[in-house]
Amino acid sequence: MKDASKIELELITIIKNHVADKSITINNKTPLIGTEIIDSMKLVELCLAFEDKAAELDFEFDWTSATAMSKSRGMFRTVESLVKEFINQSKLKK
Amino acid sequence: MIIVTGASKGLGKAICDRLISKKIDVLGIARNTESILFPSMSCDISSYDEVKAVVKKLKKENIKVNALVNAAGIDVMNLAVITPPDVSQKIIYTNLLGTIYCCQQFGALMLKNKAGSIINFSSIAVSLGIKGESIYTASKAGVEGFTRSFSREMADFNINVNCIAPGPINTELLKGISSAQKEKIISQQIIAKQFAPDDVSDLVEILLDPRSRSLSGQVLHVGGV
Repeated sequence: MKDASKIELELITIIKNHVADKSITINNKTPLIGTEIIDSMKLVELCLAFEDKAAELDFEFDWTSATAMSKSRGMFRTVESLVKEFINQSKLKK
Repeated sequence: MIIVTGASKGLGKAICDRLISKKIDVLGIARNTESILFPSMSCDISSYDEVKAVVKKLKKENIKVNALVNAAGIDVMNLAVITPPDVSQKIIYTNLLGTIYCCQQFGALMLKNKAGSIINFSSIAVSLGIKGESIYTASKAGVEGFTRSFSREMADFNINVNCIAPGPINTELLKGISSAQKEKIISQQIIAKQFAPDDVSDLVEILLDPRSRSLSGQVLHVGGV
């Protein structure tokens, strides 16, 4: 299993690849929902890419959540929250 | 591969038979697969986890899903005021939630292909508001509403989502309905004749054909209403 910081970097690269406007600086606090940074189609594609990454790491990434789209609690609220959720799931499901 | 739910009997079986006769790969889904003579998997679609298990197996085997036909459904004709809660729940869980669960999970499998077709099943009961079918009608009205919204979510991925709403077709689902009741319903169709499972299979084939790519979010009424 790769260490968390390496996975984090890979995930941030995946997120950056899904942002259409490459002039936007993506950092941990960048919101993924409620802005025009990433549209709904790209958000689903991002989930699919995370699913592939999870398969590579031998676990299943579950992107469904009752609060998924919540701007205050959802996993998609920021880059950081999404990465954190992925890392948590990787630890729980191993 | 085309996934067909409710594959062991009725319209689901007729649709599978038609697709197989056209040399199309079909995976039938049903609670009881003993009588199914083609590739099938046992699954109660009203269980999210059971649908998930099927999807997991398909992923593991790298099976490409091109289309989904949600033909599974149940009906218990009864006045709403005397229908016990467990029956109401069973109808909603199978007809509405079962369709939603399959669309969510098999639909997610189709996203990567950026192509495909999903066909849900409603009923003439929604348009006519048939007496004694309130809960069944509620479940199917839900399927129609879900289809309209879901079609917009899937359009980004070039996946069409439509709904077929048949009138009375002679299948096991209608065994509790008298000939007089059927005739009364049929008389309210635009084309006042009883259609057959073959007619529904024709529509399924049309919706699966790439030439129907301009149709999405639609409810197609067999016989017209």
